[in-house]
Formats: sequence, structure tokens, C-alpha cells
Amino acid sequence: MTRAFWILWKREAGALLLSPIAWVLLTCMALVSGFSFSQCVAYLGQGVREFTVMQIYFYIFHFWFLLIILVPVLTMRLFSEEYKTGTIEMLLTAPVRDGDVILSKFFGALTFYLILWVPSLLGLAIFQAWTGQTVPVAWAPLALSYLMVALVGMFYLAIGIFGSVLSRNQAVAAMISFTIIALLFFAGFLSYLVRDPGWREALTYVFTLEQMRSFSAGIFDSRPVVFYLSGTVFFLILTQRVMAGRRLKG
Amino acid sequence: MIAVENLSKRYAGGEVVKGISFSVAKGEVVGFLGPNGAGKSTTMRMITGYLPATDGKIEVAGAHLPEQSLRVRQRIGYMPENVPLYPEMRVGEFLEYRGRLKRVGRGEIARRLDLVLDQCGLAEVRHKIIGTLSKGYRQRVGLADALIHNPPLLILDEPTAGLDPHQIRSFRELIKELGQDRTIVLSTHILSEVEMVCGRAIIINRGRIEASDTLANLEKRVQAGALQIEVKADPATVLEKLRALSEVSVATEISQAGDWVAVEVVAVPGKDIRGEVDQLIKRENWPLRDFRREKARLEDVFVELTQE
Repeated sequence: MTRAFWILWKREAGALLLSPIAWVLLTCMALVSGFSFSQCVAYLGQGVREFTVMQIYFYIFHFWFLLIILVPVLTMRLFSEEYKTGTIEMLLTAPVRDGDVILSKFFGALTFYLILWVPSLLGLAIFQAWTGQTVPVAWAPLALSYLMVALVGMFYLAIGIFGSVLSRNQAVAAMISFTIIALLFFAGFLSYLVRDPGWREALTYVFTLEQMRSFSAGIFDSRPVVFYLSGTVFFLILTQRVMAGRRLKG
Repeated sequence: MIAVENLSKRYAGGEVVKGISFSVAKGEVVGFLGPNGAGKSTTMRMITGYLPATDGKIEVAGAHLPEQSLRVRQRIGYMPENVPLYPEMRVGEFLEYRGRLKRVGRGEIARRLDLVLDQCGLAEVRHKIIGTLSKGYRQRVGLADALIHNPPLLILDEPTAGLDPHQIRSFRELIKELGQDRTIVLSTHILSEVEMVCGRAIIINRGRIEASDTLANLEKRVQAGALQIEVKADPATVLEKLRALSEVSVATEISQAGDWVAVEVVAVPGKDIRGEVDQLIKRENWPLRDFRREKARLEDVFVELTQE
């Protein structure tokens, strides 16, 4: 990482943490994840279940709904605002590479995204302290669940940044990234429906929910890791291409 | 400091800059002059490396675009049109961030920051949030940003646009002061600005350079200003005698007040008729109460060069 990257990252992460949108997101996140977590615990309290709290918590609808909505809102202003107010010109006439600018925005957003997950960890910690159990919150499922959260987050954030570079209008940017993310997320469910084995195989690669299910049970699979990392790189490269193209148009 | 050769910029909509060439020597203060939409901003954006040129060569401070873009950007202090800034940041914080981004060392940044804050008269708003500042202060922050890494070349796109007359005056003083040890290129469509600040003007119109010269030479290019005299004599005789002079092209009566007649005399282009007219008046013994020459203004040059 270049020096310019760190200076830019500091500013990006700082700008996110100081923006009102960040605190609204953080509050919503804490509310929804807290609510869904307490529901999980209530469900487990009804009798003997074959799931651990981690498995239910990371499978529940609230959780994914939040992720799909939250990422576009988090990323929509990253480039849109710079293009709208013209600060992009100031930014790109400083001696910095386009790549530094894109990566700093990406990692700045990722930093904040990871902070958003801290309240959910607190929920699990309270659960463990309260019940005194060690099995439900074992290290491997815990680490793998949050690894998956990070991987999916990186992929979605890269899509969000791509959406943001496409439009000066934040609402348009959010809508574009929301559409791409939602399509990818729900495409996985089609694997239940298609007959063709080739398609079914392909769709399981993007079936985030199933992948999360195995990760939260402590079962590691390298395929999703490769898929999300390469997807992230792909959308960041697309972002760079769009940025270069926007300059050609002035 | 800047050498531009055959530079052009085409968009899907047409050609905005049409193969212009010019150079700016070290230490010069040059004004880019042209009506709105002439291609000034586009040219500046290409020099700063923000927009890629469609064709042509650009060399800035010994580095070439687009290959050495980072090196070029390092040597330019650029203030874009409308001065975009991050409104949520504080003045000092913003300038420190920009300085660090433009490779001012950790040990040096505090000193540079104090210097530009002082130079641009920003010391008292150092801790204020940029979004709350007036237009004049924001413009100064933009200039301080351009200066923070101590570049040898300043490129200012319409630096005084939107300021009130007081702010314009102090801003020009500041630019003049900065021009003493730096090369400056500024664009404007306000002619008096060029007259006050710049040593040379490059007049751009519809993507082409119409003229590039010192102000004095540019003024010579239009008809030297008309001469106005007011004498006590018979109007018809005055006009007749004036028209008889070899270097006078037109002589017209402007007004009469009692016995006095005011006449405007225009010389043959490139000639100075003051001496001849003066001798005529003395020869004829006409009482004289007004004798003045309208100075040719840059505005006339501009209008003449950029008219349809």
C-alpha cells in the first residue's frame, strides 16, 4: 500500500464515521440485529433444537435483509458526491493514482462495515455469559461466520462502489447497487428450481445463504472465498474503467 | 514551464480545443482570456492531467503528459473552477490532509500550513468548518490548497468568479504577490483582471488561440485610440483643416457649446497624430481647452478578436 493510500483511507474512514448517515446505519444495525438475535434465543428456548444460536442468527431473514439494504446506503455517496460537488477534480489532480482513490474508498467503507458488526458480537458475548454454555459460540463457527460476513461484505461493497461511480445521483447509485446485490443474492434460491445440473452447480456458487449455513456450522469451504474475493476484484476493476471513461467524457 | 503543442480535445459532441500551441516561461503571469465556453477550462484541465488530451503534446516543468502524470501533478498547484472543497472538514484539517496527499513531509507540514494560512489570510478561520465559510474565504482555502505543497506553477481557473469587489481586489493583490516567485496561469473572462495582474494574455475563442502577446502589444493591434480636442473656431474650418492632415483618417464633430467645438480625430492605423494635430492648432492659433486620447483598451482587442 502506498503512502497516498493511507492518507486517503484515513480521510475516507473519518468522513464516514463523522457523517450522520453512519450513525443512523449503526443504530439501525444494532436495533435489527438485537431484535433478530433475541428472536433466535426465544426460538431456541421453546424446546430442543438441532441448530446452534450462530446458525439461526446468521440464517435469519432480518440479517440478510439488513445486509442487502445497508451496503448500498453505505456506499452510495462515495463517488456520487465527489462527482456532484466537483471534489473529484481536486482529488484526481493531486499526485495520487486512481487505484489509490478506489482502494481507499473501498477499505474505508469496509472499516466502517466491520464496525457495524461489533454490536452483534456483543449479543453473542452476552448470550454466552448468560447461559454459560461453550458449545454454541465455539471458536471455529464464530470465526468462520464473521469471515463470511467480511467476504460477502467486501463483495457487496465493491458492487456498491461500482454503483456509486456510475451516477452523480446518490439515489440512483444506491438503486443500481441494490439491484445487482439483490439479484445475486436471490439467484441462489433458483438452485432449488432449475433442473439442469450445470446451472444448479453454477447457482450454488452464488448461494450466499447456503454458504453461510455451512460456515456458521463451522464447516469451511474454499469456493466461496475464491468467489467473493474475485468478485470484489472484478467490480473494483470495473469501477476503475468507469472512472477512466468518465474522464474521456469530461 | 509549460509547453503545449498542437493540443486538441474532442468529445462526442464536437471539438472543444482545436490544435492549440503555446508556451509559458518560468516566472510569467499569463492570463487565459476568452468568452464562456471558449475552451479555457478544458485546456487547463488537460494541463493538470485531469482530462486526457485527444491529441498533442503537453510538457510541464520538464515532465510529459500523460506518461509522467504524477510528477506533473506534483509540480502544479491547481484551483479548479467553483473551488470544490469538503464542506464537513475544518480549514486547517483540510489543508493538512491536502498537503500530506501532495507529499509534504510529516516534519514539514506544520510549517507549510502556518505559512499558507498566513499568506492567504486564513489564520483566524483555521478551526472553522469549511461549509460555514463565506465564498471569499472558501476561495482563499482553494488557493491555500493550491499552494500547500509549494509548487513552482499555479493554475487558477476563474479565481475571482463570484467574489464581491472588495474580495476581488484583495484576491488580485494576493495573486500579484504570489506571481513574484512563481509561474501563474489564470483564466478569466474579466478583462480588467488580466490588465491588473498579468504580463501576457492568451486569447482563446472557440477552441483556437486568437492572440498571445503582452498587453502593450495587444493594444497596438487595434486602432490606436481616437483623439478628442475642443477648440474655439469655426466648425467647418476645423474639420476641413484636420482632414487635410496626412495621417488623419476620419475627423468628426461631436458637439458644439457656444463658440467651442469638440471634434474626434482618428488616425491612420499605427500612426500617432498627436504631434501633427498639436502643430496645426498652434499654427492656426485656435484657443484650446481639451486635448486627450482615449487609450485603446484590452476590451477593444478582445471584442475585435473574438467577434463572430
